Amino acid sequence: MEREERYLELYLDRCTAQDDLAPPGLPLLSPVAPYDVYIYNSSHPEAVFNPHLEEVKETSGGFSSVDLSFLPDELTQENKDQTVLRSKGEDEENCKTQSPQSKLLLSSQQDVGLGSNSSSSSNSHSRLHPGDADSVQHSPEKPDTLPLGSIAPMTPMAPVSEGSEFVPQLQNIVSTANLACKLDLKKIALHAKNAEYNPKRFAAVIMRIREPRTTALIFSSGKMVCTGAKSEEQSRLAARKYARVVQKLGFPARFLDFKIQNMVGSCDVRFPIRLEGLVLTHQQFSSYEPELFPGLIYRMVKPRIVLLIFVSGKVVLTGKF
Amino acid sequence: MPGGGRCPDCGSTELVEDAHYTQSQLVCSDCGCVVTEGVLTTTFSDEGNLREVAYSRSTGENEQVSRSQQRGLRRVRDLCRVLQLPSTFEETAVAYYQKAYQHPGIRAARLQKKEVLVGCCVLITCRQHNWPLTMGTICTLLYADLDMFSGTYMQIVKLLGLDVPSLCLADLVKTYCSSFKLFQASPSLPAKYMEDKEKMLSRTLQLVELADETWLVTGRHPLPVITAAAFLAWQSLQPSARLTCSLARFCKLANVDLPYPASSRLQELLAVLLRMAEQLAWLQVLKLDKRSVVKHISDLLQHRHTLIRKAFREGTLEVEAPEKELQGRGPRQGQGKEEVGNSASELPEGKRPASPALLLPPCMLKPPKRVCPAPPASTVTGDENISDSEIEQYLRTPQEVRDFLRAQAAGQAATSSPNPP
Repeated sequence: MEREERYLELYLDRCTAQDDLAPPGLPLLSPVAPYDVYIYNSSHPEAVFNPHLEEVKETSGGFSSVDLSFLPDELTQENKDQTVLRSKGEDEENCKTQSPQSKLLLSSQQDVGLGSNSSSSSNSHSRLHPGDADSVQHSPEKPDTLPLGSIAPMTPMAPVSEGSEFVPQLQNIVSTANLACKLDLKKIALHAKNAEYNPKRFAAVIMRIREPRTTALIFSSGKMVCTGAKSEEQSRLAARKYARVVQKLGFPARFLDFKIQNMVGSCDVRFPIRLEGLVLTHQQFSSYEPELFPGLIYRMVKPRIVLLIFVSGKVVLTGKF
Repeated sequence: MPGGGRCPDCGSTELVEDAHYTQSQLVCSDCGCVVTEGVLTTTFSDEGNLREVAYSRSTGENEQVSRSQQRGLRRVRDLCRVLQLPSTFEETAVAYYQKAYQHPGIRAARLQKKEVLVGCCVLITCRQHNWPLTMGTICTLLYADLDMFSGTYMQIVKLLGLDVPSLCLADLVKTYCSSFKLFQASPSLPAKYMEDKEKMLSRTLQLVELADETWLVTGRHPLPVITAAAFLAWQSLQPSARLTCSLARFCKLANVDLPYPASSRLQELLAVLLRMAEQLAWLQVLKLDKRSVVKHISDLLQHRHTLIRKAFREGTLEVEAPEKELQGRGPRQGQGKEEVGNSASELPEGKRPASPALLLPPCMLKPPKRVCPAPPASTVTGDENISDSEIEQYLRTPQEVRDFLRAQAAGQAATSSPNPP
C-alpha cells in the first residue's frame, strides 16, 4: 500500500510539472479498499497512473487500463513497447476498442494536448492498456461539489490483466473489404445456400456464415460489408471466408482493402451514475436528454469514442475509424 | 378585419386585402366594391381606409430572405406567441432559425423538417432561459412526432455547437402543477377534491426532490414522475377523502393527460416512502402498506433527509463493512454510493435486516433478465487456412440448384395464376 502511494506521489509530481491541464484541485485518491487483484508489474512507475485522474469507483476487479497518451512521447513509447510485448501473449479477446487504434496510432501519437479543458483531460482518457481497455472510468466522477454523486473511495488502480470482469467486451465489429470484381448477385443467391437476395428491398446479397458467426452484405460492385464479429481477427477471418465463398462460385474474387470501420463494446461498472451531474461537469462532451433517451451520450475527444452511459452503470462504447 | 373600415356601398366591415394585377386593393367581401386602390392620390374619405404598412414590408430586407425562410421565421414568431413567451425569446429563436438556415443541409431539408426546426429553435431558446418547456408540448403544438423532432433537435444542437442546459425540474413542477384544474371549485370537481395551489405545489416539489435523491428521476422522462408526485401530494393533503381516488381519475379531474409511466413511478415512490417509514419510530408499529403510508407523507417529508440517510445505506463489501458502518458519514452516504464491487450487491440485501436497503436505481434492483456469459477466449489470428469443405457446406450442389429453380418457378406460377373459382 505504501509503495503504491509512493508511486502515486511520484506520478503526481511528474504530472503537475508537465501537464498544466491537470487542475491542482483534483481529489487525491487514497487507497482504501484492499485490492485483491494481482498487481501487475508495480515496479513500473508509469503503470500506477490509473488511480489518479479518474475517480474510480470500482473497488474490486479493477480496471486494467493504462492510458498513457497524456504523457510525453518518450514515456508513452516506452510503456507501449513493454505492454505491446506483454500483450502478445495475452488474450486478444480482451483487446478492446482502443487497442487497434493504439497500435495503429503508435507512431502518430500526438501528445497530451487533450485540447479540452481540465476536467476532460482527467476524464477523457480511456485507460488504455493494450490488452485490456476500459474507457469507462470517467463516467461516474462526481465533482466535489455534488454530494449526490458521492466520491467513492479511490482505490489504487493497478492494471489488471484479462480475466477481470470489468473489461469492456467487444460486441460487434463492422469491416469492409473489396473483392475487386463485378458480381452477379442473382447467381450468388442461386448457388449459395446461405444467401438471401431481394432486389426490391435492398440491392445486395445478405450472406451469413456460422463460424465466426457473422453477416455480410455483398454488393454487385464487389464491395462487401462484414458485421457481427466479436474481434478484429474474427472479422478478418470471416471476411476472407466470404471472399472464398464468392470465389468458389466462380468469380475472380480477391481480398483487398480489408478495413475495420467501427467497433462496439460494452461494459458494466456496477454502480449507479448520476447522469444529471455528469452532464453539468462535462457539458461540452455530454448530451443528456431524458425526454428522448435514457442514456447520456458522451463524445470523448481523445480518443474519439462515443459512449452511451446509463444510470445502471452499463456503458456502451463505439468508435468509427 | 381590424382597421375599422366600412364599405361605402353596403356598409359591411368585411374588408379583404386583395392583389389585383400586383396592385393591392381593399375589397368588400360582401358586395365586391373596391374600397381603396392604393393610388397615390386619395380623397379624404379614402384615406380613412388606408392600411398601415409594416416596417418589414417597407424595407427591402425580406427580399434577400427566401420565402421558405420567411415562412419559417413567421412560424417561429407565431409559436412564441402561442406559448406566451417573453418577447426577448422571440428574437433569440428567430436568430437561431436564421443561423440554422445558413447551413446547406437545412436549406435543402424537407418542409416537414423545417417545420420541426421551428420547434427546435424555440425549445433551445426556452432551455437557455430556463423556461420549462417539454418536447412533448412542442410536438403536440406542431403535430410532429417525437422521432422526427429528436433527430432534428440533436442535429441542430450539433450543427450550431450549442450548449443546451437541462430541463429545470423545479420550474417544470411549478408550470405543470399550475395547469391542474384542482384549485378552483367547479361543477365537475367534488368539494373535497379541491386543493390549495401553494400547498400542493410545495409538497409536490418536496416529493420530486425525494424522487431525485432516490434515483427515480435519472434517465427517465421527468413528467410522469411529477404526475405521480403531484398525485401523492394531493392525496396526502386530505387522505381520508382522497385515498379512494385513483391516479387515472385524478388526472381526469385535473384535466391533464395521464402519462403511461406515471403509475410505475407512483409505485416506486411509494416503495421509497415505505422504506423511509420503517425508520420512524411511531410508524414502525403501524405496519404500513402502500395505501396507509399516504397518510403519513407529511411526517416523512418533514424528516426526509434523516430518513433517507438511515433507511438507505450503501452496499458494502464484507471487507469494508465494519469500517464504513462505524464511520458516521454525512448525507452523502445514503445517496447513491453503493460500492457494490465483487458482485456482492445481492448479498448485503439478503443478509441484512429490512433496513437499511441499498439505494440504487430501480433498474439495478431488478434481477438481470439474462446473464450474458463472457465469450470464450478466442485464439483466432485472422490468417488461418480456410478449408474447402467448410466453404462447400455453404454452396448448393447442381441437383439442389435445379430443385430450387423448380420450386421457385412453381411458387411463382402459383402466385400469378388466378384463384380457381
